[in-house]
Parts: sequence; structure tokens; C-alpha cells
Amino acid sequence: MNESKQELLRGTLDMLILKVVALGPSHGYAIAQRLQQISKEFFQVHQGSLYPALHRVEDKGWLQAEWKESETGRQAKFYSLTKKGRRHMNAEVISWQRLCDAVGLILRAEEDS
Amino acid sequence: MRRIRRLFHRSHTEKELDQELRFHLDRQIADHVAAGLSPDEARRRANLEFGGVERVKEEVRDTRWEAHLDNLFRDFRYATRNLRQDWRFASVAIFTLALGIGAATVAFSAFYNLLFNAFAARDARRLVILSGQSAEAGGHPEMDLWPLAGSLSDFDAIREQNQAFEEIIGYHRGIALLNDGKDNHQVYVAKVTGNAFDFYGVPPLLGRGIVAQDAKPGALPVFVMSYRAWLGEFGADPNLIGKSFLLNGEQWTLVGIMPRRFQAFGALQQVWMPITDTRGAGGSKSEPSVDTMMARLKPGVKVDAASAELDVIVKRLAKSKPEEFPKHFTARVQSATDFLMGPWGIGTAGGPEAEHFDVKHMLYDLLAGVMMLLLIACSGVANLLLARGASREKEIAVRTALGASRARLVRQLLVESAVLATVACAMGCVFAYFGMKVVATAVPHKGQSVGGEAVIGLDSMVLFFTLGVTALTTLLFGLAPALHAVRRDVQPMLTGSGKGTSGDFRHGRFRAGLVVVEVALSIVLLTGAGLMIRSFYELTHIDLGFNAKNLFFAPVGLPFGSKEATEQQQDKARRIEERLKALPGVAELAVNNSLPGYNPGGRFEATVPGSAHSEKVGFDGCSENLLRMLEMRMSLGRWLSASEVDAAQPVAVINQTMAARFYGGENPLGRQIEAKEFNEKVQPAHDVYFQVIGVVRDIKDYGPQVPVLPMAFVPYTIRGGGILFLKTKGDPALLMNAVRREMWAVDPNAVFSPQMGPYIDVFYGLTYSTHQLGLTTFTGVAGIALVLVVIGVFSVMAYTVSQQTHEIGIRMALGAQQSRILQMILAKGARLLAAGIVLGLFASYGLTRFLASQIWGVSATDPWTFAAVAALVVAVGLGACFLPARRATCVDPLVALRYE
Repeated sequence: MNESKQELLRGTLDMLILKVVALGPSHGYAIAQRLQQISKEFFQVHQGSLYPALHRVEDKGWLQAEWKESETGRQAKFYSLTKKGRRHMNAEVISWQRLCDAVGLILRAEEDS
Repeated sequence: MRRIRRLFHRSHTEKELDQELRFHLDRQIADHVAAGLSPDEARRRANLEFGGVERVKEEVRDTRWEAHLDNLFRDFRYATRNLRQDWRFASVAIFTLALGIGAATVAFSAFYNLLFNAFAARDARRLVILSGQSAEAGGHPEMDLWPLAGSLSDFDAIREQNQAFEEIIGYHRGIALLNDGKDNHQVYVAKVTGNAFDFYGVPPLLGRGIVAQDAKPGALPVFVMSYRAWLGEFGADPNLIGKSFLLNGEQWTLVGIMPRRFQAFGALQQVWMPITDTRGAGGSKSEPSVDTMMARLKPGVKVDAASAELDVIVKRLAKSKPEEFPKHFTARVQSATDFLMGPWGIGTAGGPEAEHFDVKHMLYDLLAGVMMLLLIACSGVANLLLARGASREKEIAVRTALGASRARLVRQLLVESAVLATVACAMGCVFAYFGMKVVATAVPHKGQSVGGEAVIGLDSMVLFFTLGVTALTTLLFGLAPALHAVRRDVQPMLTGSGKGTSGDFRHGRFRAGLVVVEVALSIVLLTGAGLMIRSFYELTHIDLGFNAKNLFFAPVGLPFGSKEATEQQQDKARRIEERLKALPGVAELAVNNSLPGYNPGGRFEATVPGSAHSEKVGFDGCSENLLRMLEMRMSLGRWLSASEVDAAQPVAVINQTMAARFYGGENPLGRQIEAKEFNEKVQPAHDVYFQVIGVVRDIKDYGPQVPVLPMAFVPYTIRGGGILFLKTKGDPALLMNAVRREMWAVDPNAVFSPQMGPYIDVFYGLTYSTHQLGLTTFTGVAGIALVLVVIGVFSVMAYTVSQQTHEIGIRMALGAQQSRILQMILAKGARLLAAGIVLGLFASYGLTRFLASQIWGVSATDPWTFAAVAALVVAVGLGACFLPARRATCVDPLVALRYE
């Protein structure tokens, strides 16, 4: 695999999926594409982890699924964010940011010394 | 909802998943084509990137909750198939577990239902019995704890003055004849205060209970019948309600039937009627009384606090009417359960002064015993599983190699254990059902005791416990073997012969350890049972100092020799005496006012005039032939003569203990005894000085366990009142019908005590029934333990032999004698047994002291019992080794060497 394409940290995939879906209902393929695009091809999301994650998140009630016609005219399973999902996402984003800030602080402190 | 729906629309879910993934793949291909790849190349690339549709599907399925259910179901099917295949293993394991679970269920049911669920009444935990306890020097606290009786006024006083009780009821019990116009039925009657049924809060099965109005003077006479009487005497006729009956010759109307479990105030068939408050009506002098008072504590009130308050109230009452109460006493409350377990309930009254047999303690010990039994069963089955695991090593190795995770394998093995345990649980419940019948009949119901409401059965609480035990045992016996099975290295299993030719040493040691534990635990149980058997033997073979053989006990509701009795009663009593004496088979008839060996007659404070020594003495009013009939032996002087009895002369024969305590070393003959309380009991009241005319050898008059106390035998005619004893020529049981016939001939309305019959039966029933309960249950548990140990030792030895067939074959091929092989196998078994026995004996030495309250006459570390138990286990254990050992000697070296 391409070395620059990082495996995702465990637990962050769910948050990223939620964030992508928050932009508008989309199907699995579109979610995968968008994850890659937005991260500027940084993340490589395997189907083998994307779909289990999607189903897991749906099981938890953060996403709801609906069969709709896709842009090509074929029926596809569209995921959209639920209220519960949005709450969860917001909470996750905040805690993630805190983590990043903390890690950043430590890294910077090292540079200073 | 969606999850559940998904469970039932599996194919639909699958189709959706397939569509979703296919859509993804197709879009990817389309994108690749758009980027300029050839369709074939695009498909190849997309498939590569996707990484296998089926794998993704599998992973998606795994995230869903029903995947676990699915796996569980698959494991379950696999387990049942496996167990069916290996049915011999399965049936031994299930049988072992079922015995353990069944025994635990029975014991728990007895424990829970007798100690925590003994009463049908609402809020039964707060029920208490008001009791009095005489506090005199030399008194015997347990025996002198009696239910507080009193007149209705006393009852009202306590009811009004207390702060501790929510409500108090009183009742009075007796035997009555119930006539339905055709037949007489002898029933137990409980007369209750008007608030009793409300207090109990048990709704009647039919009709209504007794209400406060029924107890008012002038109310219609109504009564309520128990389920048992209704069913037994009247065939559960629903039209019985509203009918009139003759109860002791008066018209009473039946208004209600109580449900099966309601047997308040007694265990036998009975009726309840109100105590009519006749005070102030018609100027009748005697006022109704109650013989027992029961109360419900207010929530949060402690027994001690209530006792203290009650003591103050009752002492105040005693001050205003000193003639009704003993001189020194304390009043206290006793929880209804303790009362039930005590001498007035189902606990024996044979020897309350000594450590009387403690039912509560016994139940705890029994529960501990069955838990040990359960452990034995668990280690037995764990052992079987380990042995089986060894032969499945290859299968497990293959599964591991194919990618099964350890957790998955452990789960699968645990499911197998759970299947075993579940079947065993069902079978254990069947065992328990029959076991409970045995135990329920063994729980003594003493005539009128408050013991009948405990139902030892498979109720929801008990089933809940059984399920819990089953789950626990599954973990206990299943987890270790399962972990053991998956821990091993895959490689050698797959490449090697697949059968541990030399056997894994550690593996073998673990199994041996389990057998040792089994044997040790069984030793503990067997020692306990052995001590109980010895104790029971001691109790039943003790020299009571009298002979109860060929004695017929005929309690008749007539005061023999009583001067208080009416002319008519005295006449009846005389006629009954004469008729019974004339019966063929009756050698002699004696009157006595006590039950020898169980309970002496009235106990009164006595003293020697001019001496400071004062002590309670049992005064036994008897006729002149009692000495001969009971085969007691004189030590000094002579026994009462017929003329002294007829003339009611104040003479006394005392026992050796009394002679020693009252007169020291001096000769008591011709000396005097004064019994102050006795003075008030004689008619007309006068001072009674008894002259000592003889000393009789001590007899165990308070029960076999109790040290002999001072006794004086005096003519029954002085006080009057007594019970008839007949000495028979042959078997006293044959006299039953004849005695009844004669009594009915004199008095067609005579009622009989349920205790009428051969005295030895009465005596045994009263004295030994609770011991017998402990003995039966504990011996049962120990017996099952022995069976389990046999199974355990046998299966391990058989397995060892089968594993060593190869080795034995080589040995024999090299010229080992059959006897050498036999010796080798037996030695191995003997080592295990020896380790278990040593461990078990040490454990017993430490544990049997907890049985101390249930054994008597034998030390808790009795060496003979210990030795006998060890010998038994050695014999049985070696027997279990012998069959596998014999099979080992029959190994054909040729077959054994090929045996792979």
C-alpha cells in the first residue's frame, strides 16, 4: 500500500463517517470517495472496515438508512444522520479536538526545550 | 424493533447487503472505466481494491448483534451433536450433575421455606410470638420459655399499652367433635380473637374469614374450615358453606374455607372460630382466655426493643394479679420463625436445657453440606471433561489452525458445558421433586405447632436458585477444562500421533488433583453423617433408667383422680379405667401425670424445712404400680403403696439426684419436703409436707440428652389429674382399636389425642423426630457424595488405563506379569485415594465442630468414626479402581502396540 495513505486510528472512523454523512445523505461508495477526497487522498479506507463500520453505526442508531435512487439511476442505500448521531458526533469532535490540542501542546513543548 | 425484524428477515437483510456492496463495486468499476481502463482491467482493479465481497460481508455480519446469536446457536447444535455421539460420557456427566443440583435444590427449598418463608401471612418476617421466660435460679432458660397466655383482659391491656406492635392477636387451641348431622369428625379447633383473620391477611378460598363482628356477644355463631379438613372430611364440597354443624354440641354455621396453605396455629385439620367476648355479659365469672399471643412488629422495631416494652407491660399486669403469673419471669418476644424452630415448634423438646437439637443450625449445615456435594459433582464432571478434552486435542488443534480464535473455542466448549448443565438441571429438578417429598414427610409436625405452613416444594424462588446454581456449576466445571483445552500448542498435536502417548504430565496432575478434592470433600460429608449416625445410636441406646416397652399411652380428656372433677366425670373416669383394665392383652394400668423420659409433671419450688436450699423439683403424680410398670429400680426405702395412693397420703419417693442435692450425704428417709407452690394447687389449699419414704434410681425423665434433675414421685390423688398408661402383654399397637371402642362405649363423644398409641412411638416421635430429620438428610447427602466419588474415581482410572494401553502393551511385551500391571494401576489409584483421605480427614477435623449442636454423646472428632469413614472410602475407592485395572491386565500386547 501507499505509505502516505495511513490506516485510520481505531475509533476515529465512526466519527469521520458521521461527519461526512452530516454533509448530506450519501451511500457507501460516496462516503468512501469523499473521505479520500477531503483528506486529500491521505486516508485509505478499506471496504473491509468501511462497511462493518457503517452497519455498526447504523445499529447504534446514529445513522439511518434508506433505499433511494442514486445519481446513476440505480437503487442505492443512502445513509443520513439521526439526531442522536449528531449529538454523538459533536461530542466526539470536541473530545477529539481536545486530544489534538493536548498532543500538540506536548509536541510543541518538546521543540522549545 | 428493527433489530428484531432483522432476525426474522434474514434473507432480506442478506439481499440488501449484497445489493449495497455490489453497487459499490459497480460504481468503482464504472469510475475506473471512466478513467480509461478497459472493462476487464477495471473489474480486476476494483475487485482487488475491494478485497473480496464475501470477506467484507462476513465482517459486516460480525458487527451485528444477531451474529452472536447465530454463533451461539451453531455452537449449541454442534454441542448437542457431539454429546449425542459421546452419549456415555454425556449421561455420566449429566447424572453426576443432576444428583448435585437435585440435592442442592432440595436443601435450599427446605432452608428457604422453613427459615424465610414459613408463614402464609402477609409481612411474615415481622411476626413475633409473645413469650414468658421464668428467671429463677436453677431454671432452664429454653425450656421455661413458653408462649404467654392470659385472659382477654390481659390481651386487651397489652394491645392497648404497647407501642411496638402493629397489631396483636390471641388464640386458644383444643380438640373438638364436629358433627355434620351424620358423623362425628375429630378436629383441631383454634379459637381466635376477632382481628385474627384481618391480621393474617390471607384471603379465604371460599366465603369469608372471621371478622371482628363475629366475636361480639350475641353474634351469630360462625366458623371457618381449613382446606385440609374440607378436602379430607367433606370431599371439597363447595355447597358446604352456609351449612350448620354441631361443634361440641352447639350449632355453628360454616362461613368460609381457607386456602390450602393457610394452617395458622397448627398443622392438622382444623376449624377456626371466634373467641366470643363474654365479659360483662350475664355476670359469668370466668372470662375467655388465649393460650398464645402473636403480634406483628411495626416496621423498623427491633425484637429487643419490643421485648423490653412488653416486659414492662406484663410486669405491671403481674403486679395487679400476682396469682396468674410466676413469681420471677421476664416477658419477651420471639420471632415467629424462631418459635417455629424452637421446642414449641418443630424443634425437639426432648432436652431443651441441654443443647437441644437446633433445626436452624441443621438447615445451615445441610446447605453447607450440599454445596460441598455440588463441588464434588463439579470436580467430577470437570474431570470427565478434561479426560474428554485430551482425546479431542487433535480436533481443537485443527480448529485453531483453521483460524478459530481462543475466545471462540472457549465459548464453544462452554456452550457444551451449558448444554450438559441444562439437561442436568431439568433432571435435577425431577430428582428434587421426589427428594422434597421425602424431606417434607420427615419434617416433624408436632400436633398443634405452628409448622404447617412451610411448603417445601419447587416454587419460583427455589427454581430461581436452581437456575443460578446451574449457571454457576457450568462455569465451575466447564471453564477450567475449556481454558486448558485451548491453551496448548497446536504444532505437536498436528504432527504427532495425536494421542499423548505418555500423557501430559501437568494435565494428569490437574485431574489427579480434582480426584483428591472429590475424595477429600466426600470424607468431610461422610464424617459428618457418620457422627450423626453414631450420635443417633447413642441417643437411642442410652439407658433411660426405665423400660418403655409394651407400654400403651392413652391420653384421655378426663381428669383421673381429680377432686375438682364433677361426680359425673369421676364416674366416667372410673368406668374407663375398669374397662381398659379388663381388656385382654392389658396386664396392668397406671396413672401418671407426666410422660416419662420426656417431660416430668409439674415443677415446683421445693425446700427441706429448716434448710436454705430451695430448688425446682418435678413432682410426678403417679399410682402405686408405676415403679413396676416402668421397671424402675429402688435405691433406698420403698415405693408408694396402694393404700397411700388411695388415701392421698403426702409421701414422696425422691430420685438420687434430689437426695444428693437436698440432703447431702444424710439419709433422706423420714425427712420432709415442703413444696410451697404445691400448697396452692391442692383442694382445699393447705400446707403440704411430703415425707420421704424412698429413693429411686435416677431415670432420664427430661429426655435422654438432659442431665437428671431432682424428681419426687407422689400419689397422683393428692393433686388429681393424670394420664393412663397400660402395660400390655404383647404388641401395644394391637390395642389401638380396642381402647377406642371401650372409651366410646363409656363416652360416645370422647376425642383422642393423636399421640395415643404405643408409648415407644410417642416417645420416639417427640424425642427423636428432629434428630431423624438431620440424620436422614445428612446421610442422604453423604450417600450421594459416595456415589459421585465412585463415579469420579472409576472414570479417571478407566481413562488413565485407556491412555496407558500403549505403555501397558509395551510392558507386557517386555514380560511384565499381569499381577504387576494390576499392582501398578491399583497403586496409582491408591495414591490418589490416600492423598484425598488424608486431606479430607484434616478438613473434617477442622469442620465437624460446626456439627456439634447436632451430635450428642460422641466427640466431634470421634476417632472411630474417622477411621470407619476412611476405611469405607478406601474400600469403595479401590473397588472403583479394580475394574479398570482388571481391564488393563487383559490388554493384548499385540493389539496395544498397534493401538493408535
